[in-house]
Amino acid sequence: MSAGNESQTIESATTTIESAPDQKTRRYDRQLRLWAKSGQAALESAHILVLSSSSTSASILKNLVLPGIGQFTILDRTITEPKDAGNNFFLEGQKSIGKPRAEEATRLLLELNDGVQGHAVVNKDVQEVLASADGAEWLKGFTLIIAHNVEKGALEKLSDLLWADIKSPPLVVIRSAGFLAEIFIQFHEHAVIDSHIDTSPSLRIDKPFPALLKHATSLDLENMDVTDHGHVPYVYILVRVLEEWKASHGGNLPRTTDERKAFKTIIGKMRKKSDEENFEEAEGQAYKCWSSTVVPGDIKSLFTADATASPPHTKPFHYLLKALEIFTTTVEPHTLPLSATLPDMKADTKQYVGIQRLYKDRASEEKGIFKDILAKVLKDQGEDSSLIDDETIDAFVKNAHILKLLKGKKWGWIDADKGALSEHAQISSKQLGIHLALSSLSSLQFKHIQSQSQSEFAPTLEELTAAAQAILPEGVELQDGDLNNAVGELARAPTADLPNTAALLGGVVAQEVIKMITKQYVPVEGYCTIDLVETWTGVL
Amino acid sequence: MATTTTPNATDWPGRYYHIDQILEKAGPRTDPEWVPGDKAKEWLREGVKVLVIGAGGLGCEILSNLALTGFKDIHVIDMDTIDISNLNRQFLFRQKDVGKSKALVAAEFIMNRVPGVKVTPYHGKIQDKDEDYYMQFTLIICGLDSVEARRWINATLVNMVDPENPQSLKPLIDGGTEGFKGQARVILPTITSCYECSLDMLNKQTQFPICTIANTPRLPEHCIEWASVLEWPRVFPDKKVDNDDPDHIDWLYKQALNRAQEFKIEGVTWSLTQGVVKNIIPAIASTNAIISAACCNEAFKIATNSAAFLNNYFMFIGTDGVYSYTFEHERRPECPVCGGEALDLTISPELTLQELIDLLIERQDIQIKKPSLSTPTKQLYLQAPPQLEEATRPNLEKKVSELVPPNGDVTVTASTLPFSLSLRIAYT
Repeated sequence: MSAGNESQTIESATTTIESAPDQKTRRYDRQLRLWAKSGQAALESAHILVLSSSSTSASILKNLVLPGIGQFTILDRTITEPKDAGNNFFLEGQKSIGKPRAEEATRLLLELNDGVQGHAVVNKDVQEVLASADGAEWLKGFTLIIAHNVEKGALEKLSDLLWADIKSPPLVVIRSAGFLAEIFIQFHEHAVIDSHIDTSPSLRIDKPFPALLKHATSLDLENMDVTDHGHVPYVYILVRVLEEWKASHGGNLPRTTDERKAFKTIIGKMRKKSDEENFEEAEGQAYKCWSSTVVPGDIKSLFTADATASPPHTKPFHYLLKALEIFTTTVEPHTLPLSATLPDMKADTKQYVGIQRLYKDRASEEKGIFKDILAKVLKDQGEDSSLIDDETIDAFVKNAHILKLLKGKKWGWIDADKGALSEHAQISSKQLGIHLALSSLSSLQFKHIQSQSQSEFAPTLEELTAAAQAILPEGVELQDGDLNNAVGELARAPTADLPNTAALLGGVVAQEVIKMITKQYVPVEGYCTIDLVETWTGVL
Repeated sequence: MATTTTPNATDWPGRYYHIDQILEKAGPRTDPEWVPGDKAKEWLREGVKVLVIGAGGLGCEILSNLALTGFKDIHVIDMDTIDISNLNRQFLFRQKDVGKSKALVAAEFIMNRVPGVKVTPYHGKIQDKDEDYYMQFTLIICGLDSVEARRWINATLVNMVDPENPQSLKPLIDGGTEGFKGQARVILPTITSCYECSLDMLNKQTQFPICTIANTPRLPEHCIEWASVLEWPRVFPDKKVDNDDPDHIDWLYKQALNRAQEFKIEGVTWSLTQGVVKNIIPAIASTNAIISAACCNEAFKIATNSAAFLNNYFMFIGTDGVYSYTFEHERRPECPVCGGEALDLTISPELTLQELIDLLIERQDIQIKKPSLSTPTKQLYLQAPPQLEEATRPNLEKKVSELVPPNGDVTVTASTLPFSLSLRIAYT
């Protein structure tokens, strides 16, 4: 039956020949090759809020407007000053001075892409928005919120508000000054089906499904034509040799170095000619017979994930996980569903298409079983079967070996966690130095604002050092010079939003936002710290 | 060559509030000899002349970063024109600019947006320019997608170094991206590892054996290669495929699709056809922003000495979290550009000259496409001119061991590369 489906697929593919791509596909071609139409659709339906129209914020937005984010709103009441006009590409030099900065930036950002909508809110700041219930709801309505150098008091309130409600959007916090910066994403839970992690699914050579076993063992290699013999896919060769091996070794795989050598020798001896590339490939891939196919540890650990406190958007993922767990524990041979994608291998067309067919048919059977299990899971949970569409199930099964579930943390968690601070002082002292220095800078700045001083904010090295050390538990110190190196840079440039630092943050943050919104690739977990004196990034 | 920028004519008070915080005070890791203040600012804004090679994905970002940082005399070279598929990241270009010169449009945009910055564009090839031209710059930043062009500028700058003249050493900052990944590096010609030293770090391009394409296709890519490498020249012997012509891609797509159907192979699409034929590398604004910013930050640090610069390689990978790796790439003593030592090559005495040439093309650390070979006493094989090619062609069939004595030297050159590779041949 499946074979019939197959020829249908090919026929329908040829009867509906694609024509050259439209304008929009051509414009987005280089990114569609990364996140495909599904990722693009997610971007286009997103509406993000950006707090501030600093050089850094504008750089982030540029990298989201270009790939076609649906909408953005900038909340900022700043009036453009001469210093803003000097470091922000999305202001028009002196012409913008005296005008609302968010409006100028919005206007110039929108020139980059007709498909994007942008809004500037310039009559209030985030403090005022947070003060009203309506404002709080308005904030929660965005897909994601980005906060660059938002003053400490407002940032904490915002973080509290969003953390208190599991349905809230993620909050991306960026703090930077001079050559130093950090990025943190606050979210409750983030599930990724298509993580794009570069790992191949198991071919189950050690646990061949019946059709594969039958085909591999029934091949008459002895009497085969020499040309055909040189084109037998290595998977058949390995399945065959391994079956014989297991039969003569009490069902065990080759375990010791000597056994593995002997196993490869068997393959070598099967050659009819010395230059048969498929047998060479079989020897090269023989390591696939060294360990038995099981559910990968990373995936197994997801089965124990607590689903009770999940936000609505990851609920379907948890149901899929539940079904996967049942599948791996009840369906022989207790592995992940078979993948339909077969890597390329030395073979002629007929043999390759043949083995591809075997894998596809079996994969489709197992997907059918998985779907039945999922339907039952959904029914048991009182959910409608339409909750999860076929496309999602297909993607889930296809990527079952590289699924990711990230449990987020609240902004500021590390400063309250003495154990983590002590540990990081040992193992990632440089990174912690940057985090502490930026925390100390924002505390001092908050005090400066509260004091309503008219003077320029210019913290001394001593003040910054003391405030940074105050965060560390007693007796804990960073490694030599690490704190001073970070604090010293901030004393040098406490309010500098450098064009290059802003541009780099614009790129790193936009990548993270794209990953969060498309739910493809894996976003950063923890505090990402950046040092542009020595040019490195590191995660706490 | 005198510069014509009038200092400070367009600088409003407070314009450099952000940058000046760095230039007015040393940081804890700044060279203790460094003198902060007006001199550093003046040099950056009036003394430095920067060349940007490439006005594409990286180039647009590099130009805007340099302009905002305060570099005021910037030159840019690019031979390309603007395509619609550039607009998802090359943010100095608009729909109306499609078809125009990248260098010209980018230069004009920057000068409009950032007053007082002079950007001098050149629409053409880097190979059009000579050493005198490159000598005028303080430093050079590359945002290229071509390995060939990078090798050329790298070798040119290494060749330019005159130990008697410190001004002849031009720092080269090179950036590159692919999808969510990229790298930025600083090359001090003859001092640090050069571009050629790291040639083996490039991803090997997948090449399908011609017999697979012709007889035993398995992948949609095989069918596409069949259409473009075999079928097109058969049907249109007098016309080359134009990768940018949608009608050509369309023809190839349909041929590939028919072949795929014949062999029951799935997965030939228009987009895949275009991707395979043009060797398209995915590219996004955000990655270009990261790498360009890293490059320009190094340019700023080199130009001002306000902080130590990168030694010498920064690699960024954003696919799985944020991962980066900063390390010192080491020089290669047998690097044909900056190494000086001959490369020892041990080959079978049975190897023919043609097979040796194939090996040179194939090897990751050599990758010389159309090599000409000679020994100190005779020419082994020359690609041009035609008379000499014809005269030396019979050697291709001969064994190298008949032509070159054991431990003999062979010099390899290619018209596209401004250097020669010295081989010392031994036999097994």
